[in-house]
Amino acid sequence: MTTCTTFWRTCRRCGSAAFGFALAAGAIAAAQSGADGWTTYHGDYTGQRHSSLTQITPANVHQVALAWAFATGQPAQIKATPILANGVVYITSPDHVWAIDARSGHQIWHYGYPANEGFHIGHRGVAIDKDTVFFTTPDAHLVALNANDGKVKWNVVVADAKKGYWSTNAPLLIRNHLLVGVAGDFDNLPGILTSIDPETGRTQWVFYSTPPPGTAGNPSDGATGGQMWMTGTYDPQQNLVFVGTGNPTPVLNGPARAGDNRWTDSILAINPDTGKLAWGFQATRHDTHDWDAAEVPVLVDGSFNGAPAKVVMQASRNGYFYVLDRTTGRSLLTKPFATANWATGIDQDGRPIPNPAKEPARDGRLVAPDESGGTNYRSPSFDPKSGLLLVSSHDAYGIYFFRPDHGAYGWAGADYGVFGRSALRAIDYRTGEIRWSHELGEGASGAGVLTTESGLAFTGDTAGNVMALRTSDGATLWHSGIGRVGNSPITYQLDGRQYVLVGGGASLFAFALPETR
Amino acid sequence: MRKRMSNLAESVGAVLLLQLVAGTVAAGQATPAQVQTGQRVFAAQCGFCHGRDAMGGETGPDLTRSPLVRDEAAGDRLRAVVRDGRVDKGMPAFRLTDADLTAVVAFIRDQKVKADSPGARRNVSTADLQTGNPEAGRVYFNGAGRCASCHSPTGDLAGIASRLQGLQLLQRMLYPSNGRGAKAAVTLPSGETIRGALAYRDEFTIALTDASGRYRSWPAAQVKFTVENPLDAHAEQLGKYTDDDMHDVLAYLQTLR
Repeated sequence: MTTCTTFWRTCRRCGSAAFGFALAAGAIAAAQSGADGWTTYHGDYTGQRHSSLTQITPANVHQVALAWAFATGQPAQIKATPILANGVVYITSPDHVWAIDARSGHQIWHYGYPANEGFHIGHRGVAIDKDTVFFTTPDAHLVALNANDGKVKWNVVVADAKKGYWSTNAPLLIRNHLLVGVAGDFDNLPGILTSIDPETGRTQWVFYSTPPPGTAGNPSDGATGGQMWMTGTYDPQQNLVFVGTGNPTPVLNGPARAGDNRWTDSILAINPDTGKLAWGFQATRHDTHDWDAAEVPVLVDGSFNGAPAKVVMQASRNGYFYVLDRTTGRSLLTKPFATANWATGIDQDGRPIPNPAKEPARDGRLVAPDESGGTNYRSPSFDPKSGLLLVSSHDAYGIYFFRPDHGAYGWAGADYGVFGRSALRAIDYRTGEIRWSHELGEGASGAGVLTTESGLAFTGDTAGNVMALRTSDGATLWHSGIGRVGNSPITYQLDGRQYVLVGGGASLFAFALPETR
Repeated sequence: MRKRMSNLAESVGAVLLLQLVAGTVAAGQATPAQVQTGQRVFAAQCGFCHGRDAMGGETGPDLTRSPLVRDEAAGDRLRAVVRDGRVDKGMPAFRLTDADLTAVVAFIRDQKVKADSPGARRNVSTADLQTGNPEAGRVYFNGAGRCASCHSPTGDLAGIASRLQGLQLLQRMLYPSNGRGAKAAVTLPSGETIRGALAYRDEFTIALTDASGRYRSWPAAQVKFTVENPLDAHAEQLGKYTDDDMHDVLAYLQTLR
């Protein structure tokens, strides 16, 4: 039973009674990743990306060295989180899945999806259930593969790629629901999240963040978009999935969709059995800068203003950090964590008030953040001991243009990044204060963050170093120049040895302490 | 976009280019593999001047709006331009294999198709940018903007408006990413100081190109060093410009013909 508190997939096998135990023991608050597995995108349902492993410590991390490396041989950088189950690592890039021995880096099998004209922007990783690996494709299919040999079990269409949908999504498995997100910014498309039966591939429900045109009661003010392209988080006690939605379309043309454009750029709470919306909170109302609020909604059971609180927090692409009561969606805190010059204040509901003068215009407006955002898909990590959310942040300016003849379809404008610098920031979630900030270099880092119970934080800079920092103060304790880190590191322990897995360029690197034998 | 596309930007929009590469092939003549190869060759050989998306860069024009690209029949002329260069306009000749050249042409054509299609990013014309007041820009240049502490309208900026126009001039003004390089001075434990152009810097390594042209690097923790980067002032100014300031300074620079 003890594993039930630390490893959600084991809990799933144990059944609902075990879940009840785990919750009573405060599993959401403790939020530890499995010791010998990392079976879902965030490691567990909370999105904290915090591991209970303690073999690698601030005192010995300087001895960490390469255990193995795996080169994908593809031009695409690894953006995916590796998924580990039963001693096998599954790593992806667009159109490709590799199964690798987690002890040696030896390739067990490779699956190549047939050539297609989908958008090959990146891939986040697989989902796994028993002996099936689930893989989304650039042309917005979901493929079920046999985990043992990579053979296709079935292949279903999630959304119509010819209309402009694609998928990079690492699906989220909740009981018998596989939640699959898609993307599609270059066309005016309704935002959809699909629940699929992991056994059969049959669609169970479709949730629309922006309903198809003509839907009664549509709250989007004419906007489309709001795609849910990142993996959500889940609170079993509330039976709610928390997912971030993307920007509205047309992207830069605000006048075409006057209003708040719900539920684009929002954090949504959805019932996974029915696909019904419980509540929504809009991080950016009436976004005209491509600031998806798709970033990880991190679940923490902690305290706020001295009282116990179940919160969901997000460091959002628009440069603001949000803490919400996740039982109601009510705002507890809104504060910038990266340079932002686009809001005139915060409204009574905790939403920044967009400055109309910073909307894209014919002669250009200088806006922070730039399009790539104050942060992006790279995962943050929450350290329960210190109460710090570690976020790879980006202080950046861009120039944004729109004139009426740019139209009201797709991008509908133009924007250009000017300059930016990155820093890892440690945000105290109770106050929104930045406890420390560690410079990561010019440009934007693609690296997410992993914290461990021993007090370490792993991430990457913009130059191509993976680094271990001390979580309490951000001091650098170790680094290795492996090429630009484009994914979020994970950790696991096998045969008594703790590994840290991180992507550098198009290769996957496993680091560990020296063997003792 | 050009700076970010290589790694970032799930920024869904930021990487239009990648979709383009994987996407439609113009007129059905080239294969997706050719376009993909063309993108790689283009990014490596041409992107510095024309932008990695072929839509214009620091010194080269937007090729998706070039008559040579617009006119399908001009394929041979386009190839000739790449092979022979336009030395008078500062474009060198490129030695590409026939296959790579075909791929580059396929890529540029594909970019054009995408640039012209609904939903694509839109262009900015020079006429759009004429809202500033040149006199206010001159005052800002010499005053609050502190531009005059490094630049001179009769020195380095003389004739700038003849060399750069519109969006290119605006981008160059805000952050000239190929502007004057940073200088570094590294003092070794022995006391010897080596000066040169900053060649690389991260948290762990400092490197410069010394007077003889040699690249030299040191562990940052084992030496003392100073870096003087004239671009720091540009980065700092981004947080100070109002949009009016930005348009005014652009208007002033446009008078420096």
